Amino acid sequence: MMSETMQATTASSGRRAAPPALLRARAALCAEWIKLRSLRSMLVTPVLAAVVCIGYADFLCWRFTQRWHTFDAANKAGFNPLDTNFNVLVIGVLFFGVLGALVVTNEYGNGLIRTTLTATPQRGLILAAKTALLALIALLWSAVICFALFLTGQAILAGHIPHVTLADPGVLGRVLGAIFYLTTASLIGLFIGVIARSAAVAMTCVFGVFLVLPTLLNSLQGGVWRHTVPYLPPNLGNALWLSRTGTGSLASPTVAALGLAAWVIVLGALATYSLRRRDA
Amino acid sequence: MSAQAGTAPDAGASLETRLRATARSEWIKFRSVRSGPAVLLATAVILPVTAWLLCAYYRNSWATMSPASRASFDPVFISLRGIEGAQLFVGALGVITATGEYTSGLIRSTFIATPQRAQVIAMKATIFAAVVWAWCTLLSFAAFFVGQALLSSPAKHVAIGDPGVLTAVLGGGLYLTAVGVLGLFIGVLLRRTPAALAALFGILLVLPVAIGLLGGNIGAQLAEFLPDGGGEEIFKLLHGGAYTLGPWQGFAVLAVWVAAAAAAAFLLVRRRDA
Repeated sequence: MMSETMQATTASSGRRAAPPALLRARAALCAEWIKLRSLRSMLVTPVLAAVVCIGYADFLCWRFTQRWHTFDAANKAGFNPLDTNFNVLVIGVLFFGVLGALVVTNEYGNGLIRTTLTATPQRGLILAAKTALLALIALLWSAVICFALFLTGQAILAGHIPHVTLADPGVLGRVLGAIFYLTTASLIGLFIGVIARSAAVAMTCVFGVFLVLPTLLNSLQGGVWRHTVPYLPPNLGNALWLSRTGTGSLASPTVAALGLAAWVIVLGALATYSLRRRDA
Repeated sequence: MSAQAGTAPDAGASLETRLRATARSEWIKFRSVRSGPAVLLATAVILPVTAWLLCAYYRNSWATMSPASRASFDPVFISLRGIEGAQLFVGALGVITATGEYTSGLIRSTFIATPQRAQVIAMKATIFAAVVWAWCTLLSFAAFFVGQALLSSPAKHVAIGDPGVLTAVLGGGLYLTAVGVLGLFIGVLLRRTPAALAALFGILLVLPVAIGLLGGNIGAQLAEFLPDGGGEEIFKLLHGGAYTLGPWQGFAVLAVWVAAAAAAAFLLVRRRDA
């Protein structure tokens, strides 16, 4: 009797000291999920992303139907319904990058990160939970946005000027490529946020990487630039949905997908190292 | 009532004394923010390094450039193009200068110490503008000389005394200062760092891209009335193409945006809680 109680006590206290890994992972996921869904920017940013991307893509498509009669033969031949439809992603990617950055810098901003790290000292586990949840949300939401803007955009083009459907060769691949790009952009934003630890620095870096770097560097083509500029994250991402790839400053879609994955892995490793080594 | 009477002598401190006190406290806050020196150092790297990269590239590829792209090549603009990257950092510094105080709650002490809120904001903007202008003008000259040293014959290059060049190089410093001040006023308006940064970068960087997607003439016509498209004319030597504004008219467009943000900030900072 006595020994039984003793055993039970030690067993339960032992469990409290070191809960099984699965339980701990589930607890971390639950905690991160509560923080994610109670974050105001987690609602505002995706809604803005959807409104801007779908709304502006539809507007651009509508504008092309209105201007079609003013085009000469060369312009008409150069018209690409899929690129016209997806051009808005040059802006849309910023929402996803900023979303990822805010998920973590918000915690640094209000000091919650210290509570988080005290509750779960396994810092790698926290980052893994954040990454998994953000990747899932970004994947679902970018899929909604990309399919919605594709279907509505092509519906607007249809009947007036050339358009494509999901059944046309290569089209589905480019829609999926766009979804992949937006999802990886949110992860890149998250890892930049972990490394930067402040919203201001992280957001500046996201805009710098996804908007300013390509503006400054894309005009450089010869020599060393030919082997570096196409591998910037935005150029890799654009190579996934633009139809003119494999030429000029864009890599082929396969290389682009692998390249983006490599960026995510390298930045993820740096972020893990930085989170484990530095103070919060 | 009696409390008001008691504070009356303080409130009656001469304008000059109060302005000097506000200036000193704003200066202490500005220089003790850690991001200040970091941002200024970052611009000191970005401007000359971009000038070096771009000008070295164009000197090497000059022989293979088409006559049309040689004609439209602007040696001053290429030397100063690092401004397009540096404006992110200077603009963010402007935003943080304002929102940092709201985040830490210091703004409440500031406004209790100096209830003349408009004066606080004006002094904050003045000190920020003075420091950023002096530093960025220096860097603009540095980037120009780095660029021109690399752009040797046969590549097109200019001297600082050539017509319009001095305006453009001074304009680089003015442009960055205006962007920073725009960020500061947007920060006062929105009071939260992420929202203010998103608004500033949205106006400065995203709007031109969005309008560029429109294509046709309307895109170019609208673009030169944005702070970025208009303001950039001041550090270009060659004007024209789709643009109709000269250097100072273009800069005036940016100044109008800054003035609008300033007017809204001065109006709202007196009405709202801190």
